[in-house]
Amino acid sequence: MSKEALLSLDGISVRFGAGRKSFRAVRGVSFELYAGETLSLVGESGSGKTTIGRAIMRVHPLSAGEIRYRGQRISGAVNARSERLLRQKIQMIFQDPMASLNERAKIDYIVSEGLYNFKLFKNEAERLAKVEKALLEVGLLPEFASRFPHEFSGGQRQRIGIARALVMEPEILIADEPISALDVSIRAQVINLLNQLKRDRGLSYLFIAHDLSVVRFISDRIAVIHRGRIVELAASEELFLRPLHPYTKALLSAVPIPDPEAEQKKKLVIYDPSIHDYGREEPIWAEAAPGHYLLGSPGELAAWSS
Amino acid sequence: MSDRLDSIDRIDPALFTPAPFDAAEAERSGYSRYSYWRSTIRTFFKSPLAIALLALITILTAFSFLYPLLSRTDPNAVALETARWNLKPGAGNGVFGTDGLGRDMWARSWHGARTSLLLGFVIAFIDVGIGMIAGALWGYVRRLDRIMTELYNVLTNIPQTVVLILLSYILRPGFWTIVIALCSTGWLSIARFVRNKVITIRDAEYNVASRCLGTPLSRIIAKNVLPYLVSIVIMEAALTIPYSIGAEVFLGFIGLGLPLDTVSLGNLVNLGKNNFFLYPHQLLWPTAVLATITVSFYIVGNKFADASDPRNHV
Repeated sequence: MSKEALLSLDGISVRFGAGRKSFRAVRGVSFELYAGETLSLVGESGSGKTTIGRAIMRVHPLSAGEIRYRGQRISGAVNARSERLLRQKIQMIFQDPMASLNERAKIDYIVSEGLYNFKLFKNEAERLAKVEKALLEVGLLPEFASRFPHEFSGGQRQRIGIARALVMEPEILIADEPISALDVSIRAQVINLLNQLKRDRGLSYLFIAHDLSVVRFISDRIAVIHRGRIVELAASEELFLRPLHPYTKALLSAVPIPDPEAEQKKKLVIYDPSIHDYGREEPIWAEAAPGHYLLGSPGELAAWSS
Repeated sequence: MSDRLDSIDRIDPALFTPAPFDAAEAERSGYSRYSYWRSTIRTFFKSPLAIALLALITILTAFSFLYPLLSRTDPNAVALETARWNLKPGAGNGVFGTDGLGRDMWARSWHGARTSLLLGFVIAFIDVGIGMIAGALWGYVRRLDRIMTELYNVLTNIPQTVVLILLSYILRPGFWTIVIALCSTGWLSIARFVRNKVITIRDAEYNVASRCLGTPLSRIIAKNVLPYLVSIVIMEAALTIPYSIGAEVFLGFIGLGLPLDTVSLGNLVNLGKNNFFLYPHQLLWPTAVLATITVSFYIVGNKFADASDPRNHV
């Protein structure tokens, strides 16, 4: 893995609402996505993982921090050139294939929407060729272009969503729980497609998920997020073998084991946030082992790492 | 058991051709060459009731607009001899008979229907127009939401009858007074309806996807929002027409309707109700025309709303 940071998030916060009722969904999150890697964001519902993905896509404005793509700022007020760069190089796949396609538009329009937006074709023939290529790449037939979304199955619809992102020729795909709304039998289809695209196109993924068994299978690194903060970030196997943060331990202990006896004997770890006493010592983001980062007060870090 | 196995063995393998798994073929799915509007129209015309009522509306509307042009009977022509007053419907008395001043009820009904339909069309056009624009802004522009919601709450909390009575003091009775009176509050419910729909669309994943692709607002409106609103708008318009005609009758009843020399269904019903026990036909016939128009519009509007829902397209 080359250590070239494609995307860097620097202390980003996202705040919803204003005044006393405001809620910070994401609190000072920093990480880097390297070229050719799959970085997974895992966490429970409402932990802010989807918000991070959408903040990168400029759907939610940042209240603090900065996002850079290859050193160029793409958050806050940006010029048309940066906007264009962002839209082309970073694309998103959505959670619910039933909701993420416009029911009143044909597949042809859905896939070429981005091409129209930035006029990425010289003539109609080239546009059609690009749509056809994108559909073939995700394993769909080119003649599907003239049909409407409701004529497809969930797995096919999800692949149409992937084709829509691929047609922009992105470098980074933000996959927002792309398989959690799919039938179990279809999940492998989409996961394998994503893995194949990563090999063929050298894509980097920011994979947002809550299903740890899938995450372990596809990620290079995993970031565990809890209440809008990343509490632990490590290489995939390292995190599964040596989880350090109590929340990560609790999360890993919740993964079901496909063996009834082992599952019965399994001891669930329950995470109690009140063990932290951050009133006295502010938590810091520190490297506990090479490439293994943790959020905790200096005292906690020493205790967890030993 | 062994007999059956033997008979299987005796089947000629040449009758069979192997069918290898074809990944591309497995993707092929049902294909309907679907077109939204064609399906909507087809679903709509599947209902015989809808066809019948649509035909009825077309005929009634055409007739009420053509009759005043083709007929020479003056709906306000008063008969001077009392023998022509209060005639029952029948031969030589006009199709619907005459009213208390010997005016031809048939002519009056159709002139009235024309006035009322025109009123309904104008009010529907204005209500839906203002309601759509206000509702779309209310829904899509987050900053407006608070102000518009408060405005809506204030305006809907004023009883409409009070507004109408106050307006009738300020404005002279007439066609446009009724238009202003009914439109002043009528757009609110449409605006709220459109606002709720627009908010759903704005936060729907497919719209977020469009924003992630950098789609400009003009195309988001044209491709993501409007196709979902058109059917609602047509339905709202179809339902506002009978409501406005009914409201005109109500306004006439409380004395705020059109001036008495204007023939409208509202005025006819009010005059008819005074003589109802002696000459019921003077109330019944205009009411029949009124009910036919409003009920037809209402049912056709509802049938269209059902047909415009893609879930009802097979």
